[in-house]
Amino acid sequence: MKNEQAKKYGMVIDLDKCTGCGACMVACMAENNVPFKKDETNKLDSITWMRVFQLTNGKSFPETDICYIPRPCMHCEGEHGHSPCVSVCPATATDYSQQTGIVSQIYTRCFGCRYCMAACPYHARYFNWWDPVWPNGMEKYLNPNVSPRMRGVVEKCSFCFHRYQRAMEKAFLEGRRELEEEEYQTACTQACPAGAIVFGDLNNEKHKIHQIVNPDPAHRGRPKNPKAFRLLERLGTNPKVYYLSSREWVRRAGDNYLPHEGSGKGH
Amino acid sequence: MKMDRRSFLSFVIGGAAGTTLSPLPWKLTDDLAIWSQNWPWTPVPEKGEVSYANTTCMLCPGGCGITVRKVGDRAVKIEGTKGHPVNNGGICILGLSGLQLLYGPTRVPSPLRRTGERGENRWQKVSWDEALAWVAEKLADLRGKRLSHTVACISGTDGGTVPRLMERFLTAFGSPNFIRTPSMRDSYEMTLHLMQGAQASIGFDIENADFIVSFGSGILEGWGSPVRMFRANSVWKENGVKVVQIEPRLSNTAAKSDKWLPIHPGTEGALALGLAHVILKESLYRKDFVGTHTSGFDRWSKEVVEEWTPEQVETVTGIDKSTIVDLAKSFANAKKPLAICGRGKGNTAGGIGEFMAVHSLNALMGNINRKGGVWAVPGSDHIHWPEVEMDAVASAGMQQTRIDGAGTDKFMHARHLLHRVPEMINAGDPSLVQALFVLDANPYYTLSDKALLKKAWAKIPFILSFSSFMDETAQNADLILPNHMYLERYEDVPYAEGFNKPFIGLAKPVVSPQFDTLHTGDAILRLAKALGDPVEKAFPWEDYEGCLDDTFGDQWEELQEIGYRVESDFEPGSRNTAFETASRKFEFIPEESKDAAKNVMVKAEGEEPAYPLVLIPYDSPRLASGFIGDPPFMIKTVPDTVLKENDLLVEVHPKTAQSLGISEGKPAVLKTPKGEARVRVHLFEGIMPGLVAMPTGLGHQAYDGYLAGKGINFNDLIGPVEDEVSGLDAAWGIRAKLSRV
Amino acid sequence: MSTNDDKAKEKAVAETENHPGHSEDKKGKGSGGSILLFFLVGIIASLLVGWVVFPKLLYSQKKQPINFNHAFHVETVDEGCASCHFFREDGSFSGVPKLAQCTGCHEEAQGEDPEEIKFVTQYVEKGREVPWLVCSRQPNCVFFSHAAHVELAKMECVTCHGPIGESTHSKIYEENRITGVSRDIWGRNIAGIKRNSWDRMKMEDCAECHAEAAAKEVSELEGPMEGFFNNAVKIAFPKSLSGRKTSVQTQNEACFVCHK
Repeated sequence: MKNEQAKKYGMVIDLDKCTGCGACMVACMAENNVPFKKDETNKLDSITWMRVFQLTNGKSFPETDICYIPRPCMHCEGEHGHSPCVSVCPATATDYSQQTGIVSQIYTRCFGCRYCMAACPYHARYFNWWDPVWPNGMEKYLNPNVSPRMRGVVEKCSFCFHRYQRAMEKAFLEGRRELEEEEYQTACTQACPAGAIVFGDLNNEKHKIHQIVNPDPAHRGRPKNPKAFRLLERLGTNPKVYYLSSREWVRRAGDNYLPHEGSGKGH
Repeated sequence: MKMDRRSFLSFVIGGAAGTTLSPLPWKLTDDLAIWSQNWPWTPVPEKGEVSYANTTCMLCPGGCGITVRKVGDRAVKIEGTKGHPVNNGGICILGLSGLQLLYGPTRVPSPLRRTGERGENRWQKVSWDEALAWVAEKLADLRGKRLSHTVACISGTDGGTVPRLMERFLTAFGSPNFIRTPSMRDSYEMTLHLMQGAQASIGFDIENADFIVSFGSGILEGWGSPVRMFRANSVWKENGVKVVQIEPRLSNTAAKSDKWLPIHPGTEGALALGLAHVILKESLYRKDFVGTHTSGFDRWSKEVVEEWTPEQVETVTGIDKSTIVDLAKSFANAKKPLAICGRGKGNTAGGIGEFMAVHSLNALMGNINRKGGVWAVPGSDHIHWPEVEMDAVASAGMQQTRIDGAGTDKFMHARHLLHRVPEMINAGDPSLVQALFVLDANPYYTLSDKALLKKAWAKIPFILSFSSFMDETAQNADLILPNHMYLERYEDVPYAEGFNKPFIGLAKPVVSPQFDTLHTGDAILRLAKALGDPVEKAFPWEDYEGCLDDTFGDQWEELQEIGYRVESDFEPGSRNTAFETASRKFEFIPEESKDAAKNVMVKAEGEEPAYPLVLIPYDSPRLASGFIGDPPFMIKTVPDTVLKENDLLVEVHPKTAQSLGISEGKPAVLKTPKGEARVRVHLFEGIMPGLVAMPTGLGHQAYDGYLAGKGINFNDLIGPVEDEVSGLDAAWGIRAKLSRV
Repeated sequence: MSTNDDKAKEKAVAETENHPGHSEDKKGKGSGGSILLFFLVGIIASLLVGWVVFPKLLYSQKKQPINFNHAFHVETVDEGCASCHFFREDGSFSGVPKLAQCTGCHEEAQGEDPEEIKFVTQYVEKGREVPWLVCSRQPNCVFFSHAAHVELAKMECVTCHGPIGESTHSKIYEENRITGVSRDIWGRNIAGIKRNSWDRMKMEDCAECHAEAAAKEVSELEGPMEGFFNNAVKIAFPKSLSGRKTSVQTQNEACFVCHK
């Protein structure tokens, strides 16, 4: 595999199309054996690898507006793969792959110090405060491609890496080493009824995501598409999840600005 | 030899050295590490061959095709079926959660007979033979007493083979009381019937419309076939199609629309006529259609022009007249404008006056049965069973008035009026319903006016639920005969809500039945057999699958293989032949019922000043509000501004809250003429001042600990408001009082 | 203010002061010989416990439900191991055959072998899957791609599984009572020493083979001298300059490649 060009898997979510329906959240939970509890209203301990947040424009009725924004793990590249969480992990439980651009999380390696959670500016990481419990036979639906996590470890979105693994196995069997674009898609991308999520290889010019985002290699992948933005761009985390919005206030809400600042589109 | 302290120490040191030199500590450390990384109580999902099985989702009337991923015998994931005519690969949050229902603890494991008081949830397992014999005995007894018409069935659907078998059973037995649960289908069917003379379902060629005015329809909350609507919305975004959402609350649909027009709730019909006024005044309507294919236009337009001026409409709706005029013009100037209604998900019937006003807008623009417009879609005609031969008892029973009054002189055009049933039961002594069957419905939860319902419920001597799940109705029944769950059974789904082509989906078993359940189709056949002739002979089939095979004939195999049947090149009837009214035209004022549209607006129950606010429900795509209870995954996605621990948060505008002295998150008491509930308050700028908005789909008492006791059931706080002309329940909200505690 | 801790410390100090030289009283009473003897007894006993008793206690022994003759089956079938242990179309590996595969031949007993008769009467006729005990099953956190090794790297089954195809009967399945995994993962040798590549299946064993393969790949890819140099660097600095960096922390792909 070392001969091929490295992949940089990423995602672009069209916030004009996203309806806030939550299908991505459940598709993710179902695919990745995410546990649930009787009370999930404390959102700080409610494990949702993919979570749909709601932004408001802060104006009063009837000028008020809301926008839904799904937040998976951003799979930050930072500078040369030094994403905030990878840099702080003392257990080598999380790593940045130069081959796929995916930030991994090895549950059995993690010992639950939660440094990574403190480091992640997107709150994309979750801690298992309890052992997972599937009531009365419900464990029958668990997906064997993803191992259920135990109490005391951190988990997060993996860009459905097991789907990449499965797709690669099929490719190997067929004597290929490269995947077609549609062979590896995350569960949320597949499920989104609005077709708002596009997933693919940012390095591959043939992939839709590359064409939509048009990443600028000179500025650490910053999108050249004026409608596109990344969350907290100015932190320099270099995330691989991009968003599209035609609304100026939404794009602005993607980063923290002081009142006197301009739109922050520095290019 | 005596072991002294030194020897002992020496022994210990030797032991320690030996232990170090043995594999014990090193191997033990390694094993403990592995053990701690793979706690034995963490489940290990079994591996196996992956396969995919296609079927049709039955959790809502959407008719989506789903593909179930299986590993060995286990179903592990539900995905949307690619290439399916309704949802083409997409799937909604409820459809995705289906496996939690399949394998979840809310399933009814076997026939259960009540042992405690109703609702106490104490049951005794009984065998199928025993249970069916018991029901047959009850029925035979009623029939013997010439009380066959006092058997009623509440069904969530009609048209498919299972509800039709049930209806047929009632006919052969001698009861006209097959009652479908209310939804916007009732009002749309009546609108099509009155204005177009069509016995048809409503279909929207929504993908081809280029300007949409939605009178409170939750396009992105689950209205119509949800996934199809989500997909259409994305198509609109790509093609620059404008959507105008008219409702008092900034819903998901409103947030995604190009323009959100907050309106006083319940006045949507007035706005529709206000728009019509402008279109008529400015002569922007399609003269070709109106001139040749409509009748009653002159009288109707005169009334509209006189009564619904923008000034008047502004006063009523709270939308200023310039906005009304602008909207009317943009609507009329669009190539393929489309007006739709049916509030939220369309789980309530709504006022016929409002539906007809909105439909008139479509007629003015001539977009009836044409590309991008409203289509009358004929119901599926796959069922051609022989007429039921009725004996004297059955004939006498069938001649009795339906208990809900539908089809009587008073409510001639209504087919089902479930909301009237509790009142009618309470009025009779003994109860007009002696035995109640419930099929794919949860009336104990979804019917409003709970006090009335509970009183009526107590008067029904025998209640039988066919539910696969321990829902509220099942929990309050006398006997549960659990159906296979939709992933375990065959059943035709003859309809996809709002779809503009005749469609039949087929649900197929993707896993074998997980519990001791029986297909309700088979349960009906076995009941008929137990009753003997003449009921038995109305069912010439061995079993339900035989019935399906017989019904679809030579198409059965193809249907099984493809999983659905769709007339993809279906064109709606030509305007010259499609209107089957007396005038053979579209009737703005139906000849059959000239007053049908007179109640354009229906007042909410309750009076000021006792109830200074108005409570409205809102639907959310993340909450199932029909007869299915939310699986744990869905409840997990509900924001903490809707549900906090078990407390429900109602939405109130900050100004309204301020005037009541209530701040964010604080508890309050919400009181309506129909009930009272303790809630918490969420301040939201996206709701019109003076309103209180409450999510639907919460407040379940049955099911399991992942759902029961969470929030409040909106239906506990509201009662029906009957449209006096149509008989339909037109309630859209209720006056309310919110006070701090 | 004096806390409880302080008091406790004071008391302890007082006690040591009151009993000086207590330990010296017994000095010189035991002989050097008995000390050595006890030392030897201790060391031998613990060695016995560690090498003999401990492994016996650590592993439980279970018999396979059917005594399976691999050698006989390999002779009968055409495509060797892959006849029964094959790849599915989606690239996944089928592993231990399901009953349906066996019934192709064993719908009825084909001979007099009591094990076959047991198989047919107890499993085939009753439609029950055989609860085989899988010696090579890894813990659930491991993702292993047979396709990558067999199809891509063209490895032989024997490399990891050993000459199991030559066995005429099923060996006793030994399960680690602590971890629940088979003894074959750690290896038969309790010290963890291996003679053959298939003796152990721990992560170190994967890593060992991968390091060799990586070194080989480098030497093959580049000129001989360069290859030699790279190999030398790789062995000396396994985590730095060798080859291409493929991940940030481990330099060696992300752990996700083999863990799930």
